[in-house]
Amino acid sequence: MQDHRIYCGQLGLADRGQEVCLAGWVDALRDHGEVLFIHLRDRSGIVQVVFSPDSSPLEVCQNARQLRNEFCITISGHVIKRAEGTENPHLETGEIEVVADTLAIYSDADTLPFPISEKAMIAGTSMKKLESVSEDLRLQYRYLDLRRPSMQRNFIKRHQIFKCIRDFLDEQGFIEIETPILTKSTPEGARDYLVPSRLHERRFYALPQSPQLFKQLLMVSGFERYFQLARCFRDEDLRPNRQPEFTQLDIEASFIDEEFIYELLEELTVRMFRVGHIELPRPFPRMTHTEAIDTTGSDRPDLRFGLRFIEATDIFGQTSYGIFKQVLERGGRIKGITIKGQSDRLSKNVLQNEYAKEIVPSFGAKGMTWMRVAGEELESNIVQFFSETEKQAIIERFGAQSGDVIIMIADPSYEVVTSVLGLLRIHLAHRLELIAPGLYCPVWITDFPLFEAADEGITSSHHPFTAPDHINFDPADRDQLLSLRSRAYDLVVNGEELGGGSIRINSKQVQNKIFQALNLTETDIKDKFGFFLHAFDYGIPPHGGLALGMDRVVAMILGTDSIREVIAFPKNRSAFCPLTQAPSGVSRDQLAEIGLLDPGNDKRISGIQKEGDLIDTLSWVSRIALGDDEKKIVAQAVKTAQKMAKNVSAIQMDDDPLFSVMQVSNRMRRVSEAKRHPVAQRGEIFKNAPAVKGDFFKVASILE
Amino acid sequence: MTANIFIHAATDSISDITKGPLSGTMIALQSNISVRNWPTEAGSRALEGFIALEDATVVERLRKAGASIAGNLTMSELGLGLSGNISARAVSEGYADATLSADMMGEARIAAAAHRLIGFKPSYGIMSRFGFIGLIPSMECIGIIAKSPEVITDVLKAATGFDERDFSMSPDIPSFDSSDEIEPSATTIGTITQAHAFLAPAEEEIFKEALEALEDAGFMLKEISLEDFDLFRTVHHIVGSVEASSSGGKYDGVRFGHRAGAAKNWNDMYLKSRAESFGTVVKSFLFQGAYFQFEDYGTFEKACRIRAKLLKTVQTLFDTIDFLVLPQAVRSVPESETTAIDTLYDLCALTLPANVTGHPALCLPSKDGLSLQFIARHLRDGELLSLARYLVR
Repeated sequence: MQDHRIYCGQLGLADRGQEVCLAGWVDALRDHGEVLFIHLRDRSGIVQVVFSPDSSPLEVCQNARQLRNEFCITISGHVIKRAEGTENPHLETGEIEVVADTLAIYSDADTLPFPISEKAMIAGTSMKKLESVSEDLRLQYRYLDLRRPSMQRNFIKRHQIFKCIRDFLDEQGFIEIETPILTKSTPEGARDYLVPSRLHERRFYALPQSPQLFKQLLMVSGFERYFQLARCFRDEDLRPNRQPEFTQLDIEASFIDEEFIYELLEELTVRMFRVGHIELPRPFPRMTHTEAIDTTGSDRPDLRFGLRFIEATDIFGQTSYGIFKQVLERGGRIKGITIKGQSDRLSKNVLQNEYAKEIVPSFGAKGMTWMRVAGEELESNIVQFFSETEKQAIIERFGAQSGDVIIMIADPSYEVVTSVLGLLRIHLAHRLELIAPGLYCPVWITDFPLFEAADEGITSSHHPFTAPDHINFDPADRDQLLSLRSRAYDLVVNGEELGGGSIRINSKQVQNKIFQALNLTETDIKDKFGFFLHAFDYGIPPHGGLALGMDRVVAMILGTDSIREVIAFPKNRSAFCPLTQAPSGVSRDQLAEIGLLDPGNDKRISGIQKEGDLIDTLSWVSRIALGDDEKKIVAQAVKTAQKMAKNVSAIQMDDDPLFSVMQVSNRMRRVSEAKRHPVAQRGEIFKNAPAVKGDFFKVASILE
Repeated sequence: MTANIFIHAATDSISDITKGPLSGTMIALQSNISVRNWPTEAGSRALEGFIALEDATVVERLRKAGASIAGNLTMSELGLGLSGNISARAVSEGYADATLSADMMGEARIAAAAHRLIGFKPSYGIMSRFGFIGLIPSMECIGIIAKSPEVITDVLKAATGFDERDFSMSPDIPSFDSSDEIEPSATTIGTITQAHAFLAPAEEEIFKEALEALEDAGFMLKEISLEDFDLFRTVHHIVGSVEASSSGGKYDGVRFGHRAGAAKNWNDMYLKSRAESFGTVVKSFLFQGAYFQFEDYGTFEKACRIRAKLLKTVQTLFDTIDFLVLPQAVRSVPESETTAIDTLYDLCALTLPANVTGHPALCLPSKDGLSLQFIARHLRDGELLSLARYLVR
């Protein structure tokens, strides 16, 4: 069709005088009476095309009149240098333009639901950002949204990152093996997506939450080094940056230890970030889980800024300050942080009324102690209760200098102290802008606890195949079990967990001890992992691995706000796809075929009956719950409505629908500037609100 | 005893303006018309504890004209229902000279008729509804109940006029300064054949006598058959319920109103708060609206097409007549709030057509428990009041 087509974005001054053939979409138009300029966009970029009666054939100019945004066209023409002063610095090709000789329109385009163009046609003008477009609208027209150059860039980069992974792992002797999507429920702990089986009635496949067991079986099979860019599925509750399906780089290797994984992953991570022109320093620092909690309050610490915790419990051993004394009597802890040189921005008022009274209680602590350092003195509402020795010890321990602010959290619970101080650490870093832009701080977190305390007994922190740091433990001794560390590791960058893994158990005896510790019965074990454990009988090599959440990795490298910006067709925050309308209803026939609609069976699958219940649907869309008594009356009313619908259905009507007896016309606000209503300005709108927090109406949390 | 009908009785209600056209006039309001700093709950838990932050435009205007606002009255939930015709009791028991009362399907006129008062629903779009808490935006008006046409005229004069805060107002609102005298011999009044079907035989007899009296006074009568008369009710019910379901969306217990405790999450908060905010009648109505809105939008659209045709039909009628007259028999109204929607529509079948088409309508006490409802051309509210003045003379 197009013998000599070249990409728009490749053109430059060197092509002056060249005859070129281009194809793409009309990104923008500028009509100067007789002369029409368009931005022609293809995957590579944008070039300006000129239709002028002086240089283009008349019928081409006339034909060009019908062009609108996003028409798909092809042109041929010749490249010229733009006239002095008309260059467009927004475009890579801004020094040249193409004078059209021919034009063919492949297809026209309807009015767009939102603008696609991201490049101004005139130097110095800026483009409106797409931020005001609702994300659901973008997702509904995802194919248009993906036309935008910034989105195209995201996916080109994603491809390059994935290619970099494959190239690197191939160099390292890893082979890519696919594992099944229709499989059996695995022990990751999240909810499974289930797929009903037609051939095995009332049996279900589960979509994999990860290829965990398969990749370990591949080690048993002797592949030694495996990887996969695997799609995984988890039916979890909504969280802002989560998708029901996601892509994970899954790696497993035999005859290796932790050092092999660190070495491999550090090199791979450095290479991936390089695609985004980000240089990561090696080696990545390592931090034990205990240290991470003790100094940052988080098992995925953000190390782009300081504010590490300082232990202060011992300073107050003899204190007469009541609150501290009580905390210490109950075996509690006191920890704090020094905020260097910020006393100007953290006034008494901010520290006491915002942090101590509002923010800290919302993080879960009862209170906060603060001190500002002025000269050699500590200033605070409680400093009068401290002895000279204590004040000196604080200044020394916290390295306090004039202009610093010290805050402390004291609580009977170590968990409260660290978690609240951890949240404060992040809050303060953002508020005080302590995070340098463009900084990336990777860290390995190691030596996690193997088990966590649960309501009844204990559970695995990761999964039950993670190797413990030592194997001489008593599976009945809860305290000993809780003190066990695992050979697991997480890769954390800028406070975000990009992935994690572990060295696995490769001894049947150890594995059985773990199961005993977890209080699993023989039957449980056989049911859940029988097929997997059986493989332990046939020579299992020492092995371990790791998985990286690739959507997060790519989003971080590209600096996008959400992982949905780097997934071509994501679900929205309600796990719904506005483009395809999935999940959608299915026909009764389909349900019958897979045995989920068996009239003879009383045990109906929940959800099906509900969907058919009109009143429940209306109750949901109207967000009005109904009591059982009311339900009957309301159902009767809806029946009346249906009867009315039937009555009018027979009536033929040609008149246009009338929505108001007044001639309704659009009316604009007369004042030119948007202004807050005085009632809002005076804060009176909050007087009638059932719940208020600060300057906001308070509502129940969106998530459970 | 004012306590049983007033929610809020003003303590400082006497107006300072002594020279305005409404000086000395006491006006009571239904509690869905906002007066700044007064509880304004519109009879609904959905507005539990709601204190109005601004005066309604009509309140502002009435006060400017010298009127004193006596207080606001108990009412049925969001105005849906007749609730003992309390808005008329305020006048008949002497607490006020006039009441402003919602007229969604005829409530103000019916209340007036029950207490042998005059009930008036103005043309749609001449009286601002800013500050009025309604349920069916395209049909409801603020009605006026009073003892004499003169009081209604004065209140109407003061209260009407363009208001840019109400987006449904007529661009040209007539002034009511020069109300023409009625010349019976030049005035044709239409009757509708189908309306007789709504009357008991005894009521029909009284209605016929009332019509004869009009003829005796010199008016020309013309009987008109409207085959589609039943459709007024259907259209009102379909369109009204959809608008209620839609406009009732604002009652979410976030910015005002009732909030249920212990919600698990956002949606749960809405489900529970709204469950507790609405009574069974309002819920039934809202669910009917939701049904058309979400499950059968075609029927809603069809109803709007029928509404266009009904409006055209009535407009055409006024080519040959000057007024329409319909009987308004006084029926006992169940006091109970649990009146089913259907019963309510039965009671309002003859008043709701004026809400569907937006025409001005006035109920005037006639003989033996019957009121006559007159309907005039759109925006000819003045003529309607002139007719009333002529007839009560």
